[in-house]
Amino acid sequence: MGSLTGTGHLVRLILRRDRFRLPVWLLAITGLTAFSGAAVRSTYDSPESLASYARTVGDSAVGRLNSGHQVALDTIDGIVANEITIVTNVGVALMAMFLVVRHTRAEEESGRAELVRAGVVGRHAAPFAVGLVAIGAAILLGALITGVLLAVGLDPAGSVAFGAAHATLGLFFAAVAAAASQITYGARGALGIAGGVVGVTYIVRSLGAMGENALYWVSPFGWAQGVDAFGDERWWLLAVVVGAAAVVFGLAAWLVTQRDAGAGLVQPRPGRPHASRALGTPFGLGLRLQRGLLLGWLVGLAALAAVYAAVVPLVPDLLEGNPEMAEMLQISGTEDMVIDQFLAYINVTLGVIGCVFGVASVLRLRTEEEGDRAEALLATRLSRRRWIWGSLGVTSLGLGVIALGMGVAMVVGYLGVEDASRSGSLLAGVLAQLPAMLLVAAVAFLVVAWLPRFAIWVWAIVAFVMVEAMLGDSLRLPEAVRSASPYFHLPLYPSEAWTPLPGLVLLGLGAAATAVGLTGYQRRDIGR
Amino acid sequence: MTTALEFTDVVKTFGTVRALDGFDLHVETGEVHGFLGPNGAGKSTAMRVLLGLLRADSGSVRLLDGDPWAQAADLHRRLAYVPGDVSLWPGLTGGEVIDVLGRMRGGLDDKLRRQMLERFELDPAKKARTYSKGNRQKVALVAAFSAHADLYLLDEPTSGLDPIMEAAFQECIAEVRDRGATVLLSSHILAEVESLADRVSIIRDGRTVQSGTLASLRAMTRTTVVADTREPVTGLERVAGVHDPEYDDAHGHRVRFDVDTDHLEAALDALRAAGISSLQAHPPTLEELFLRHYGDEIDTGEDD
Repeated sequence: MGSLTGTGHLVRLILRRDRFRLPVWLLAITGLTAFSGAAVRSTYDSPESLASYARTVGDSAVGRLNSGHQVALDTIDGIVANEITIVTNVGVALMAMFLVVRHTRAEEESGRAELVRAGVVGRHAAPFAVGLVAIGAAILLGALITGVLLAVGLDPAGSVAFGAAHATLGLFFAAVAAAASQITYGARGALGIAGGVVGVTYIVRSLGAMGENALYWVSPFGWAQGVDAFGDERWWLLAVVVGAAAVVFGLAAWLVTQRDAGAGLVQPRPGRPHASRALGTPFGLGLRLQRGLLLGWLVGLAALAAVYAAVVPLVPDLLEGNPEMAEMLQISGTEDMVIDQFLAYINVTLGVIGCVFGVASVLRLRTEEEGDRAEALLATRLSRRRWIWGSLGVTSLGLGVIALGMGVAMVVGYLGVEDASRSGSLLAGVLAQLPAMLLVAAVAFLVVAWLPRFAIWVWAIVAFVMVEAMLGDSLRLPEAVRSASPYFHLPLYPSEAWTPLPGLVLLGLGAAATAVGLTGYQRRDIGR
Repeated sequence: MTTALEFTDVVKTFGTVRALDGFDLHVETGEVHGFLGPNGAGKSTAMRVLLGLLRADSGSVRLLDGDPWAQAADLHRRLAYVPGDVSLWPGLTGGEVIDVLGRMRGGLDDKLRRQMLERFELDPAKKARTYSKGNRQKVALVAAFSAHADLYLLDEPTSGLDPIMEAAFQECIAEVRDRGATVLLSSHILAEVESLADRVSIIRDGRTVQSGTLASLRAMTRTTVVADTREPVTGLERVAGVHDPEYDDAHGHRVRFDVDTDHLEAALDALRAAGISSLQAHPPTLEELFLRHYGDEIDTGEDD
């Protein structure tokens, strides 16, 4: 029996299990690309607007931070590529990562992999089968992106290069996830490692693009973008990404042979034979169960906030060199106003990303139920109300800590490059997002309480507030749609004056949603 | 005697499935009550209704003189629960899980906890994700028996335990029974129920099909008789209540048959006429009772 025996069966099993999930990933990324591509195309329809894009958005620090260094920004092809690149880059990386971890480490953790390995299946068959599916999915996504760009009417060679670059990125991050899955015992740990690699390599490319230095070429995102789709098309760089992916896949295959089935390279250590006092309350238990989640988001978002703050001083320089930008932004002269607008955008961006923690935290209630662990707790003297308050308490505290952490990181990041003059407004600007973050979490709770079977759909709410906040302008969403997002109602502080009323209204709505949710949760059956 | 828990004509549906369909159950304080049924018969649903996790659609449920839905948390002060499929928080150690559940219940007895860890040979310092199924089951058992509860709801508590641990479990039941606690023990391990239970209820398709002491259940059914006689037995077929006599040898000197318990005497008269040289009679085992109710399903191998 070879080490790959049984791969064919496993590939079919994976496709069967992911017959809905995988198409949703592919269609969501493709759909968002198509929307935004079409919107960008119709926005930049005159030679003047094309020319101003290159001088303003394209060369700005913020532009580089988000999208790296795209070539041909004076053409519609380059502009579309530049606008969609954050979605497609991160989308393909996350799709590959979740796919691979779900079918490797998560399977081993659940014990299902054992059932499979007991059959006529080789040691490398499972990772190899997942690898094949991931490669197929990455190539398909690349082809779909190329198709979208062609449909929008962009240059054929560039469209193919752009799609192909994304296919290779998918390959690379599938390999990273496969290697990460060998290291930890749990799927969450593997996702944490792989997600960390995605985040760090993305930021490294951003820093490289902003500083126009060698950091750009350290990151696989840099190699993929360095293909220069819609420019000179350096096709050979695709081979570099594929080669790197092959090396990481090889590393994963070697790591497989270094460990026992079911175990990780890092063995779990023995823990405490007794529970600490803090574990005696539902809040304490919730905090313990969610501390990894909270810590991960806190560190990631604080790092992002610090990076954003550190580029703030570059914004006025940009203004001096680009009078057109001042004109476009309708700013009459003062540097502070430009900075304020930039900060207002950053604040809401951090706010919508931060609400992901809140929703993930609320969904823990549902996973506790589905895993029958809620049953064990609720068979004790613990009432449903106290159990829920304990968990929601962790969610609220976590959101508060994350908002505070992002604010402090902004202050620190800014202090690294400038003085303390803006500290107060930096901190307040992020904290002002908290009511909207809490409201999104409260709505997620409302769904979990009343429609537990549809709990997973609360991610659609998160996707909506993100699209509204980050792409609402470029997609030209109608105001009626945008006003469904709580973030839309908060003042664009510091470029607008802060008023307490919108935040208070959102908090009131959040409290009402929580109260209604609590009623529902106490009336329904607990369990699957 | 007082009533520890009672279901009266309880219905619980999930969509179109009637998990409990006019279900009745009566458990007295201080008894060990065996709760038998195949997979999917509604045992776990009944347990979850008792725990106030599920709300019955109709009928009445009483638990320790209270309403298990409305007064769930208060009533849980007095009960301990062990599920058949224990899932634990993967990042917590077994010891931490035992303490968490114990504290939520209102505190546990440290001495008893130590004693139970020893009895079940459980290492409390290991992370729950590294435990086998049997060890996860032990965590739940230690957590339950480290508290002084009035009522123990045990839903197939020994699935995954080896025979030595099974014995340790029986010891626990004997101890809590001596204290006067009530036990509702759902199981499909008949030997376990047979040796522990005072009374038994058998559930099928969401209804109780039979309930009573083992003795009364047996009285309602047939006794198996095996006899050697000096002369061939004649006329046995004509005795009312005798079922399917089988003759083991050509001369008819050895016969085996089942007889309804209230017709036992007439059957023995027929044997006596042929001159009994050896006689064995035994009441139906729980297996036989059980198979009588589920025989058709077991024959077709239907299971979930």
